[in-house]
Amino acid sequence: MSLFPKGATEEDIERVYLEAHKETRIDYSKTGGFFGPKLRNINHLEVGRSKVINSWYVRTAEYILVFYERTLEWLKKVNRALYPRKTTIYGKRKDAYITGKLTFAMRDDYAIPLHNMPVRFWARTWFGGWRLFAEGYSDRDGLVRIDYDYLESRRFRYKTFHFEICQLSHFFFNPNDRVGSIEWEVFERIKIPKSDLTGMGYNIGNLQLFFWEYRRDVAFPRVVINDHDEDSPEYYSDGRNDAIQQQFVPIELTKEKHLVQIKLDPDSISIPSIQADYPKNLTVAMEEKLPYSTRCDYWFGRRMMNGMNCATFLPDAKEAERYWVKYFGACDYEVNDEYAFPTVEIKFHIPKGGLPIPEEIITTGPVSSHDKDQFIKRNFTPADGDRWEQAKRVARVSGGLSTELDDHFAGTHVNTEQFSIAARRNLRKSPLATLLFPHLKEVALINHSADSILIGPGYIPKASALTARGIVQRCTDMMGVMDWKNWEPMEVINERHTYAKAENLFWEVVGEFVDNFFEEHEVGIIEEWFEVFRFSEDLVQNSAEAFHSSINWGTLTKEEKEREEKRVEYYHARFRFDPDLERVRYKGKLRAMSPITTNPLAPEPGDMENLKQACKYAIMMATFMHTWVNEHQYEDIGEILYSSLGLRFGEHKDGIFRDESDYSISPDLTRATQMMWFSNLLSRTEYGFITRNEENDIDPLFRDILEKKRSEFKNLYVEIDNIESRTNI
Amino acid sequence: MSNTGNHLSHTVNRGLRGLWDRVYLWFFSQGFSWAITLMLSFPQRKRMSHDNGVGGTGKITIVKDQQFPSHPFFSPGRVFPARIRHASATFLDDAMNCIRSMSIKFSDEHFKSPFDIEMNTGEISLFWSAYSFMQFAKLRREKYGVEYIDYYKKYPEGLKGAEVALRRDPSSFHNLRYYCKTPFLFIGDDDIKRYAKYRVRPYDDEPETGINKNPSEVDVGNQRIRPNEKRGRNYLKYEYEERVRKQGAKYMMQIQTRIAQDDDDPEIFNNMVPWDEIAHPWHDLAVIEIDKTLDWKESTLTSFSLNHMPKTLGVLPAKSIYDYNSLNYMRAHSEKARVARLLSYKVFGFPKPIPNDNNRNSGDWAKIQREKVSNLSRS
Repeated sequence: MSLFPKGATEEDIERVYLEAHKETRIDYSKTGGFFGPKLRNINHLEVGRSKVINSWYVRTAEYILVFYERTLEWLKKVNRALYPRKTTIYGKRKDAYITGKLTFAMRDDYAIPLHNMPVRFWARTWFGGWRLFAEGYSDRDGLVRIDYDYLESRRFRYKTFHFEICQLSHFFFNPNDRVGSIEWEVFERIKIPKSDLTGMGYNIGNLQLFFWEYRRDVAFPRVVINDHDEDSPEYYSDGRNDAIQQQFVPIELTKEKHLVQIKLDPDSISIPSIQADYPKNLTVAMEEKLPYSTRCDYWFGRRMMNGMNCATFLPDAKEAERYWVKYFGACDYEVNDEYAFPTVEIKFHIPKGGLPIPEEIITTGPVSSHDKDQFIKRNFTPADGDRWEQAKRVARVSGGLSTELDDHFAGTHVNTEQFSIAARRNLRKSPLATLLFPHLKEVALINHSADSILIGPGYIPKASALTARGIVQRCTDMMGVMDWKNWEPMEVINERHTYAKAENLFWEVVGEFVDNFFEEHEVGIIEEWFEVFRFSEDLVQNSAEAFHSSINWGTLTKEEKEREEKRVEYYHARFRFDPDLERVRYKGKLRAMSPITTNPLAPEPGDMENLKQACKYAIMMATFMHTWVNEHQYEDIGEILYSSLGLRFGEHKDGIFRDESDYSISPDLTRATQMMWFSNLLSRTEYGFITRNEENDIDPLFRDILEKKRSEFKNLYVEIDNIESRTNI
Repeated sequence: MSNTGNHLSHTVNRGLRGLWDRVYLWFFSQGFSWAITLMLSFPQRKRMSHDNGVGGTGKITIVKDQQFPSHPFFSPGRVFPARIRHASATFLDDAMNCIRSMSIKFSDEHFKSPFDIEMNTGEISLFWSAYSFMQFAKLRREKYGVEYIDYYKKYPEGLKGAEVALRRDPSSFHNLRYYCKTPFLFIGDDDIKRYAKYRVRPYDDEPETGINKNPSEVDVGNQRIRPNEKRGRNYLKYEYEERVRKQGAKYMMQIQTRIAQDDDDPEIFNNMVPWDEIAHPWHDLAVIEIDKTLDWKESTLTSFSLNHMPKTLGVLPAKSIYDYNSLNYMRAHSEKARVARLLSYKVFGFPKPIPNDNNRNSGDWAKIQREKVSNLSRS
């Protein structure tokens, strides 16, 4: 019960940490092959049994199926090679035209035009060849008018005609000269009978397109995905799917083995054996080398500051060098009866140039099945011996779940998705598309998977106190403190605050990159300012309600009021949300996001800076902020007994204040293996890194600026090769 | 292949294509004409669309002070007997929102004439080639006075043409403006090839009535009478008869010409594109004075043909069914339908006039022909 393990020093722990970190570091070498089990793709992962194919018969059948699919793909490639879609326009005169109007399609936005959508008018010959007749864009009102040669279209050689609406698919950068090229993909294709073309105009009508539509079943911005395989606004790249297959199949098989064991012979399996079956994580490896090294106060403070939680330390109002970290628990969110989720407030002493040392832990809320008082408080100090150790575990668990939901899911995933949706709905001609899309792609897809894997009916409602509804309620609240305006990286407390230093350093990198990009593309951005305006409108109007902006404080009890005031103060600090900004009220709600511009025609003074800031914020969230919390999950919630996402009340009157050896408060066996599966899934299957630039979509300038800071990052325990270019896991 | 070879191949290719287009146009026009003949003119004793009309006779005087290129047929002061016919297409109810027409014959005969011209209201049309006319006919889908909904949805120019050309509740046939839209040949005394368009306005330039102001895009296809309409289904015809009986009807026929050039844009033949009036101003051509209306039988017997023109004023040749001139080509090739209609009068008897009853929004010609004579009397 001390700052360090008995007889050990800070240096010993740091040495053990470096050794264990090296030993457990995740690499991305290729494994698998035909004789290994197959996972179809990330969309088919499930907390229960994912669609992994083990049986030899099934695997053979699967091989035939794969062969068939590959043959089809090959035939498609041959078809594309035989009938290339050349961009030469056929016909000379422009005496006829195709017209129409493109709008969104949801009940509440079908009147909003789809501006600047690329459209093409193709003819197909009797032999299948593609001939481009006209191309263009919809205008600001969504109106399309593309002229073509009517008499050319009357020639016998053309059999069918197609009107295509395209969307941006990929950007590619030439790594040498930073010249980007765009690949378009067909979003919607409409066949026009040849007999319908009579010359003059042909109106395809008002095409209402389900194009990156906002979901209306949640109060924060999410995109509608009907079917992730067949009817999705975007799809994972092949490389992303390959990466998950290479990394994740052994983990999936381990989970499946455990589930079978639990079903057929539960006595043959235990929490330690489950832990042993998965790859060692950081804390397990450290404990093997130096017992108690991860349970001591030093490590507790170190990880709170520089680990997955990267907590926000609020200075104590009275005492110098004293700070508070707060993890708000169940509060008023919908919870189950099985798991505890108390609010935890931790008081730290942070000496000059030192790491935080915990001095006091206060829990608020039920911690046992015998007492469900929401506001019951318990105080613990290092003098409490075993209880102090147990309180630290409770703090780790509450902190882990809070970080997962507030910082990871809401703060990076959903936060990035709101930029992704607004960008995909509005940015097409603007150079901003080149800047943002490589960092915003695939986030909507992974969030869609998270809905089922992690939320309802996924892992978190089964392994923690919050129900699926509770998670959505909490996420709604968290999204109410996400705003790009006046956001700045975390304040560095001292030299040992390596996380904050890394965050600041990366913010500098993003800043330099974005500033440079704006210098180069300012004219193009201003030229397409309408896209920025619409981007801003979507961002603001669909953002969540500012946190507690409509709460009726008068109806709260004294305890509730105190708790909610603390939350408001802490969340504003945590997410660097400026409550003093004047915000937009839309459809009766005060919106969390600040507008970038209110002028559809040209930037007004300050708008360009706003835009830069918003872009920096979006890139920051999608890259560094997500990478940090995601890759550290494996270290901080990769050991069941060290920190799970939930502790069960158990039967004992002490509830969750029990030793780690009491498995009745730990997750049960099924939850335990699912937890290991979950942390491995999220940390081990990353793909799409800035420096590796697997898909040639990262601006070489961004990579170069980052590369120059390699050693600086290394000194802060950050390997820049592991910083993702996008949030896709 | 050498340049000569390429040129030859290109020429042959174009020649064959041109030949095929012309042959196809001929078959297309013949097919259309036969379809009208066999389905409407002979068995139903009706015209293709303009059955609901009234005729009149009088004289046409070519103006003396001519601003347009001189032409022997239009020599100054020349006077022709005249026969005209006003009609509402296609419905048999004057109070509906319809295109109105004026056909002019430079003779007082049922058919024979040195010069006929057919004109409709509106400066632009609802279709612009033989092929687009086929689509127009195909997509009519009339029900209870509502028609062309799909056509207007698909073809913006068709909709625009309808908005411009339909006339609801005009006070008289006389005060409307009628345009021929598709140009004709005009080779005058100077032997220079020109193209000409014709129009008619009231002689006193009385303001036009019946124009749809601020037409609704979604309601153009609804040609039904207005709710609580007090005007009878023959009110325009009756008004015209009254007008002619009391004061006669006097019109000014005008002409617009332009010199033909080798590199003329085909769009100049497009009936959807009016010629610039500053570059090609309208000039007075002839004064039409109508002093007597024709009874139903005489009106019905009166027919017009675009073949009734001097060679130097005829229909322009068309190259294909997509050619803007194919509309007049097709009109000129529909003689057999007229012959069949006149024959049917002899075989089946003369068709009955449109009754002045409460069967509104109707275009059912056949139904009228089945009705009792007592219902057909003028109230």
